[in-house]
Amino acid sequence: MKKWISYGLLLVGIPLVLLLGATVFSTKQYAWLAMAVMVLTCVPFFLSFEGRQHGATRLVVIAVLAALSVVGRLLFAPLPGAKPVTAMVVITALYFGGEAGFMTGALTAVLSNFQFGQGPWTPFQMFAWGLIGLVAGLLAKPLKRSRVALCVYGALSGVLYSLLMDIWSVLWYDGGFNLSRYLATVLTSAPFMAIYAVSNVVFLLVLEKPIGSKLDRIKTKYGI
Amino acid sequence: MNAIDRLHPTVMPVYFLAILLVAMFVSNPVISLLALLGGFLFCMTQCGLREMRAELKFYIPLFLLMALTNPLFSHNGVTPLFFMNGNAVTLEAITYGAAIALMVLAVLSWGKGFGRVMTSDKLVYLFGKAAPQLALMLSMSLRYIPMLRRQAKQISRAQKVAGMYSTESYFDRLRSTFRVISALIGWSLEQAVETSRAMRARGYGLKGHTSYSNYHFRRTDALLLTLAAILLAVVLVGIGMGAVDFAYYPAISALPHTALSVAVYTAFGCLSLLPSCIELGEQIRWNYYRSKI
Repeated sequence: MKKWISYGLLLVGIPLVLLLGATVFSTKQYAWLAMAVMVLTCVPFFLSFEGRQHGATRLVVIAVLAALSVVGRLLFAPLPGAKPVTAMVVITALYFGGEAGFMTGALTAVLSNFQFGQGPWTPFQMFAWGLIGLVAGLLAKPLKRSRVALCVYGALSGVLYSLLMDIWSVLWYDGGFNLSRYLATVLTSAPFMAIYAVSNVVFLLVLEKPIGSKLDRIKTKYGI
Repeated sequence: MNAIDRLHPTVMPVYFLAILLVAMFVSNPVISLLALLGGFLFCMTQCGLREMRAELKFYIPLFLLMALTNPLFSHNGVTPLFFMNGNAVTLEAITYGAAIALMVLAVLSWGKGFGRVMTSDKLVYLFGKAAPQLALMLSMSLRYIPMLRRQAKQISRAQKVAGMYSTESYFDRLRSTFRVISALIGWSLEQAVETSRAMRARGYGLKGHTSYSNYHFRRTDALLLTLAAILLAVVLVGIGMGAVDFAYYPAISALPHTALSVAVYTAFGCLSLLPSCIELGEQIRWNYYRSKI
């Protein structure tokens, strides 16, 4: 049943929203439409997560990791551009799978925006971070094996995150996609993009080992 | 505890979504202004005057930035004011930028006030029936955030006493923060396992579990929801009939002021101002009763 709702949303809901956008609300509503599409894209993941019974440990650990990445974002807030969120999401995905990565990313976006300000950009951040986690989960094997691959993934996800959020800003300001405005936005946010990419790599390199060993230690200590 | 807090958790999201829906879809300056007015007032009743003044310091530059940069990217419009690098800077582009900026500010202020009203327990209550596991996870994360912040402060204090955090340099602060996070991770993971053990010991996941909530759907809530439905219906019918159509390009059109469009403005104004009116009315009544003691 839930599976059908997910497929229905993806296959019918999104085209329907786009069609509505193209016909009824002729111009300038792209920001809204993009937001609706983002929300609809996130819903199937939530439904599939809800559909299975998870053990208490898994639920609590994912909740704690999401809270940790929110607190990490808060702790690093005085240092502009440096956000440990991506690293936390990727590490969660490596050890608990892509779905847990998606949940951590999406939860972090919602929860940290209670502090940094909720708005129509929240679904975009949910989607961006969730997707970073999901893909990291799918690539868990090669990413765990080689640190180089992990660094490349961190840098790439920083760049893609920035590019995606720039699309959002342009849609939001212009009401439509304006290429020259997009290029200007990308250019002005280039320093941030660089900081994202570099800080993701740094965070991943610094945090991956300690968190991994701590998870292992917990596993031995409590016999999970 | 204020008047809005006593309402059922379904009421405010309905108002919020209805106002945002109209404000973001309709490009009519009167609608944008009404939404902004309602948003500012609501934000003021929820966050207080001082916080609102701090917000304005951010809103006003944002407004100017958006209004003034739009002509750089959009050269539509029939009334050129002057030429810059061979491109026309038109009156229409500036007006459109200002109108979009008004809409953005309205959405921002509504979002801020709404975030203050929709506390996490209300969100969890709303989602708890449809998705109990997600709601549980959300509420646990929300509970962990202040706890972890407190713990992080304790760790960093302990490190300060031990002589770390000595300089103000970027890399030193970065290293210290990493140390705090590393300690925090170990501590919080142990917390997580202990919590899950406690949950299992108390029967989490067994059949016949119920959850507690303290919200009641009262007559006021029904009244407010009905009112919202009627007002929104009037506004939507008006929009459907083109009563508030307004265009910025190619030339700024005349502001519609037929009887129907005035009705739409009135209905939307009521919708937008009602939440703040409820709150203000409560505060006036409170002060009145207190003055009689």
